[in-house]
Amino acid sequence: MLKRLNELNVVIGIFFILLSIILLAGAILSQDLSGRANVITGVVFLIFGILMVVARSGNDEVS
Amino acid sequence: MKLQLADYLIIGVYFLFVIGVGFLIKRNIRSSNDFLSSGRRIPLWITSLAFISANLGAQEVLGMVASGAKYGVMTVHFYWIGAIFAMVFLGVFMMPFYYGSKARSVPDYLSMRFDEKTRALNALTFAVMTVFSSGISLYALARLMEIILHWDFGFSIAVAAGIVMVYTFLGGLTSAVYNEVLQFFLIVLGLSPLVIMSLQDAGGWHNVVQQLDPRYTHAWKYMGNATDNPMGINFMSLIFGLGFVMSFGYWCTDFLVVQRAMIARNMNAAQRTPIIAAIPKLFMPLIVVLPGVVALALMQPALQHKGYSIPIAADGAVDYTMTLPSLIAHYYPSGLLGVGITALMASFMSGMAGNVTAFNSVFTYDIYHNYINRNKSDGHYLMVGKAVTIIGILISVVTAYIARSFNNINDFLQLVFSFVNGPLFATFLLGMFWKRTTGHGAFYGLLSGTVAAAITHGLTIAEGKGGWIAPIWVIKSGMGQAFIVAAFSWMANFVVTIVVSLFTKPKPDEELKGLVVSLTPRPDHTLQPWYRRVVPLAVILLLLTILLNIIFF
Repeated sequence: MLKRLNELNVVIGIFFILLSIILLAGAILSQDLSGRANVITGVVFLIFGILMVVARSGNDEVS
Repeated sequence: MKLQLADYLIIGVYFLFVIGVGFLIKRNIRSSNDFLSSGRRIPLWITSLAFISANLGAQEVLGMVASGAKYGVMTVHFYWIGAIFAMVFLGVFMMPFYYGSKARSVPDYLSMRFDEKTRALNALTFAVMTVFSSGISLYALARLMEIILHWDFGFSIAVAAGIVMVYTFLGGLTSAVYNEVLQFFLIVLGLSPLVIMSLQDAGGWHNVVQQLDPRYTHAWKYMGNATDNPMGINFMSLIFGLGFVMSFGYWCTDFLVVQRAMIARNMNAAQRTPIIAAIPKLFMPLIVVLPGVVALALMQPALQHKGYSIPIAADGAVDYTMTLPSLIAHYYPSGLLGVGITALMASFMSGMAGNVTAFNSVFTYDIYHNYINRNKSDGHYLMVGKAVTIIGILISVVTAYIARSFNNINDFLQLVFSFVNGPLFATFLLGMFWKRTTGHGAFYGLLSGTVAAAITHGLTIAEGKGGWIAPIWVIKSGMGQAFIVAAFSWMANFVVTIVVSLFTKPKPDEELKGLVVSLTPRPDHTLQPWYRRVVPLAVILLLLTILLNIIFF
């Protein structure tokens, strides 16, 4: 599993999952970030991130 | 525009990831080949996305949104006429020579096909152009951050240059390419909400079309006469100037993009790289042209109550360059604002890293190894490659500060680049398809093309620029002038190369095998399924391009 952290699609997936967490957590915790745009974008980023993580990479290890 | 904690967190996560990719790749860099050429082991999906992302720099993203607002739907010509056909040509016809010859760079191919002086001319001009382009990208980023976020100019330069330096120094070309893929997704996904939000606010595409003058909503309909369309050029100038000379000159010969295909794992992947890259390129106007057109619609009387307008520059003219940042500021709430700003930064850093890594390879392989220090160990060239990364970025920083002091240097450098790039495709076209072309022909043809470009610019004037010899030909837009300069420079190169070649001795056939069409067997992909073959994919892509041109005619 740790080895998969070297695959580019997994790195990109984790990046977008983190962005989605910031957007969604912000929407829940802060009045300023509670807009529909942040929530929808957060959900889309989350789905995209998960898809990238689970996708088969075809040997594209970063290292 | 004021950022909040969430916005800074998003920017911070992005910085962390791009540097992290550099650290992960560092463990695998053992030779100069790993550092400068990625060892030809990068998978197809990565080379394809890096191919398009290397072109998705700041000038592209900000510039195309600005053009969308200034010229309307006609801006799609930069994609559907000015990119797709050349990318297909590169994949089908030219990659077999670049990849098959085992050249390490485009100037290296010129050395094999012609001679050392042609390689030296191309390598030197390319090295200078890339490092200055990188500096201009850095200047534009710092200036934008200064205007929209009120960040200190020096702080933005230090952060952006520092981060690009860290990840390119650690992982070389592979690091730049992998980060380009991350940046591609960030730019596309980060700007997509803007397209949806602004289009929705404008009442949908149908309403946008209703609000605008029809000249701004058709790609071809008003191109019969130069005075009928906002770009001020007719369809012949567009097809020859943009669709042929500028487009093929850039996509088929600029090492910055060609390098991404040259690092693929095998010939088939190298050929498919520009063709697969052309698929997202075909739909890129949705992200970078459509917002500009929508911005223009939002400024029409019926939609003025929406409260959006493109900023006005100090001279009182509409500042189209600020269209994208102003749309982001208008529509993105905090949180999404961080995503939008990060996407803008990604485009600047992607452009800068692409230029620095291309500069690296050309300087180390084609200049240092060839003319300065030939017989050294591989470890020595790896060290030189790393040192050149730092030097390239430092020159970029100096260029950025010069550009700040002398704003005209941007225009001047862009102009010089067009003089050098414009004629280049003629050299490659003749070199690959006519075995009689000689090294002397190629060299003097290139020089003549550059001189012809300068003379044409000196005799034409558009938007106050050019005409420094005698302003005898007035052209409506700078864009139109660029197409005409490119066309004349290409023709001069083409004619001079042929004439000089006919009077000089060509290389024997044995030395040209694998370098010209008539002496090279075509790669056979017939055993592959159709979706892995170059020609069927190219045909589908061309049909789609023609269909889109018809839809937006």
